[in-house]
Amino acid sequence: MKNSLRAALISATAVVVFSSSAWVLGAQQGGAAGAAVEGQGGAPAQGQGGGRGRGRQSGPVTPTPRLPDGTVNFGRVPGEKGVWAVPYITNMAMRVVGKDGQALPEIQQAQAAARAGGGGARGGGGGGGRGGSKSEPWMPWMPWSAAVYDYNSKNESKYDPEGYCLPPGGPRMMATPYQMEIIQQPEHKRLIMIFEGATHIWREIYMDGRKFPEGDELNPTYLGYSVGRMENPDTLVVENKGFNENSWLDYFGHPHTDKMEVVERWTRPNKQTLHYEATVSDPGAYTRPFTMAWDIPWRDGGELPEYICQENNRYLNRLEDDLGQPIFGPRPQPGLKRPAGTR
Amino acid sequence: MRTKFAVVIAGLVLLTSARTMVAHHSFSAEFDANKPFKMTGTVTKVEWMNPHTFFYIDVKDEKTGKVTNWAMEMGSPNGLMRAGWTRNTMKAGDLVEVEGSLAKDGSPTGNARSVSMNGKRLFAASSQGNTQ
Repeated sequence: MKNSLRAALISATAVVVFSSSAWVLGAQQGGAAGAAVEGQGGAPAQGQGGGRGRGRQSGPVTPTPRLPDGTVNFGRVPGEKGVWAVPYITNMAMRVVGKDGQALPEIQQAQAAARAGGGGARGGGGGGGRGGSKSEPWMPWMPWSAAVYDYNSKNESKYDPEGYCLPPGGPRMMATPYQMEIIQQPEHKRLIMIFEGATHIWREIYMDGRKFPEGDELNPTYLGYSVGRMENPDTLVVENKGFNENSWLDYFGHPHTDKMEVVERWTRPNKQTLHYEATVSDPGAYTRPFTMAWDIPWRDGGELPEYICQENNRYLNRLEDDLGQPIFGPRPQPGLKRPAGTR
Repeated sequence: MRTKFAVVIAGLVLLTSARTMVAHHSFSAEFDANKPFKMTGTVTKVEWMNPHTFFYIDVKDEKTGKVTNWAMEMGSPNGLMRAGWTRNTMKAGDLVEVEGSLAKDGSPTGNARSVSMNGKRLFAASSQGNTQ
């Protein structure tokens, strides 16, 4: 009996390992170039192949759907359901690409070194393997942005605003692993993106050729002000300005300022793949612009369920600052214990 | 018989491992992946809520007989439903075996990776897998 139990466990384990990796490649990575869980400190998890290249798809690849006027259809085909399964990209520095659209050579080297080094790059699971700004020399740091990033690395993103149920801003919308939909409304000269996660929010992208508001008319917000255009029938280009400073670029905690401007480019090389590119220009935090890219896989038949992050966010109640004081909720009086039921 | 048993277990695991991870807060700021646990207890409460479903179990220390109520964190209801759960999958009074990672602060809190009950093992759509 012991033996049969052992055999059962061994086969079960084998199946878990196999199906887990298949899941990573299939459901989450799906469209390849970037839709992968990022390893900490630079290395992608095993079996992800560095996240370069395109079109590694688990199912059959079918042609790009188009609207009647020939423009790419970034959403559903009439009569079908489906959503974009946004990947979890925890460190955008590992997605920086060169002019050729490929990951920078130094990133490829860092990934190879981390793979060769075994578990050294795991860190985020609690082992403390995040390398901070020095491990990303290709990032155009300013001294302060490097220092803030090092701080966020050291405390393992404890103060991530997304953990407070605040929305991601800019490219992180496309790196927070919940589903999203793109709804084109050419008759209204606008495009809507709706998101299950982050904070169950939407983006409205004005496609009417308008100019950006100037000066104080451009009120800083989490998602910024978005003006888009079809550069050609295949490529949607969206310019974004007017971000506030309440969000991080990514889970790892790359900071940005309200001087940030983001230019996003979207293509749909086939029905199953959305290719995303974002160029971040933030003269308040980085000495030159950089471009990141990844793919987002289509999940056939999917629909967006409700997700209200603020419902019961116990993380807020437990969160303490570096001096051990609660960040939210009642502060203990000197000499008194914390209120019962808080931890 | 033995082979059948193995196949059934493997099949169950395969069915339940089509999981969707959901990220919310920093896993590693709160939990330590290097402190895995496996414990069995009786469910006292389930909070099927966003952004994380919590459940609580009474765990008895075999040596001292002392019972401790543990708080267990899982993924969001959406993530759990994509992993095969419903809000009634686990109820107060159920005997469950939980695997996951302990909280860093030493409190009786865990991040559940999987929960086994009534002969079924379900993944908990937790955030841990995302950050490794």
